[in-house]
Amino acid sequence: MARDLAIDLGTANTLVYMKGRGIVLNEPSVIALNRQTGEVLATGREAWQMIGRTPGYIVAVRPLRGGAITDFEITERMIRLLLQRVGVSRFTRPKVVICVPSAITEVERRAVTDAARRAGAADANLIEQPMAAAIGADLPIDEPVGNMVIDIGGGTSETAVISLGGIVSLEAVRVGSFDIDAAIQNHVRREHGIAIGERTAEEIKVAIGSADPTQDENQAEVRGRDLMTGLPKTVVLTPEEVRFAIEDVISSIVASVVRCLSKAPPELSQDFLVRGMYLVGGGGLLRGLAERIERETEVPVRMSNVPLEAVVLGAGHVIEHYEALKGMFMGARP
Amino acid sequence: MLVYIVIGVVIVVAVVVVAMLVRPKQDPVDSFRRQIDALSPEARKPTIDQVRDAAEDSGDNGPDES
Repeated sequence: MARDLAIDLGTANTLVYMKGRGIVLNEPSVIALNRQTGEVLATGREAWQMIGRTPGYIVAVRPLRGGAITDFEITERMIRLLLQRVGVSRFTRPKVVICVPSAITEVERRAVTDAARRAGAADANLIEQPMAAAIGADLPIDEPVGNMVIDIGGGTSETAVISLGGIVSLEAVRVGSFDIDAAIQNHVRREHGIAIGERTAEEIKVAIGSADPTQDENQAEVRGRDLMTGLPKTVVLTPEEVRFAIEDVISSIVASVVRCLSKAPPELSQDFLVRGMYLVGGGGLLRGLAERIERETEVPVRMSNVPLEAVVLGAGHVIEHYEALKGMFMGARP
Repeated sequence: MLVYIVIGVVIVVAVVVVAMLVRPKQDPVDSFRRQIDALSPEARKPTIDQVRDAAEDSGDNGPDES
């Protein structure tokens, strides 16, 4: 008998929760393929190590961008391999709940469920990431009070107001922490004339990136390829420079939070002042982001205890109480 | 012979239709109540504790930042 699964199919990482067991897999959403034969060479962490460092015949790709499937066939193969790794075979076909961005289109929804069914799921249902995040972050969403959750992922940022087990207002933008990395890459290329890879950009973000000035600020040495000479070159980046580089992305995320707040019913708005908003997702770990949102909205922002696992934890809870909570699936609500 | 087959099919269809009609409909109030109960902190505690315990046992510090 297959154990049912919850999957957080994120642009950056894929997490799998198995009913009765907890989180059994947590890997980057990357797959490495032999371009000539089409064979899968690696998935997850192993494939992530290959990004930007492969010979011409190998390609290491993220099959999801902005929370949506960009390559259906590769995504299906990645899901199939992930399911195999957690023990799913053609004889054990589990029910699967997949967390997806709330803003995905009907076509994208179908692509995700079809990919999961073809990969071995007996039944595949979708749940919105902010709803799953609110369940996983242990917010009191069963009560008639306003709970606000901000989920900043790799490719999307979503803000939702939840009360009595349902989404009251929602705002989503297809901007996330990968856009922060891309902004750093573009800045270094434009201002310093050197090319850096996406992994280096991510390392810069983690090392000195911030959305608001912080107390301990250090400079970082960055190594890349000089665009003029083609030779390796080192430059020094300051935190102010990185803040300037990522300002457009941060402003876009903060603006979406403000829009969601402005759409919330007044009765629930007053709850936010007391209870605050909860930040989840890897992007929420950017230094100074909570302070920046708090400064611009004048609403307290709190970090979830489990920012990276909140979404899959919420979906896992739905799998544990499948019959009672199946009304929460996308498409199940009127 | 054909008559018996037709009668048999009619009976089967009639039984299925009656079964569908008399099947108790899900009460929306009850369904909503069950959903809210399943979302309560008490109901969520085992799921959250299970993951927390597993993380502590493995000494895992969580996934990579994205």
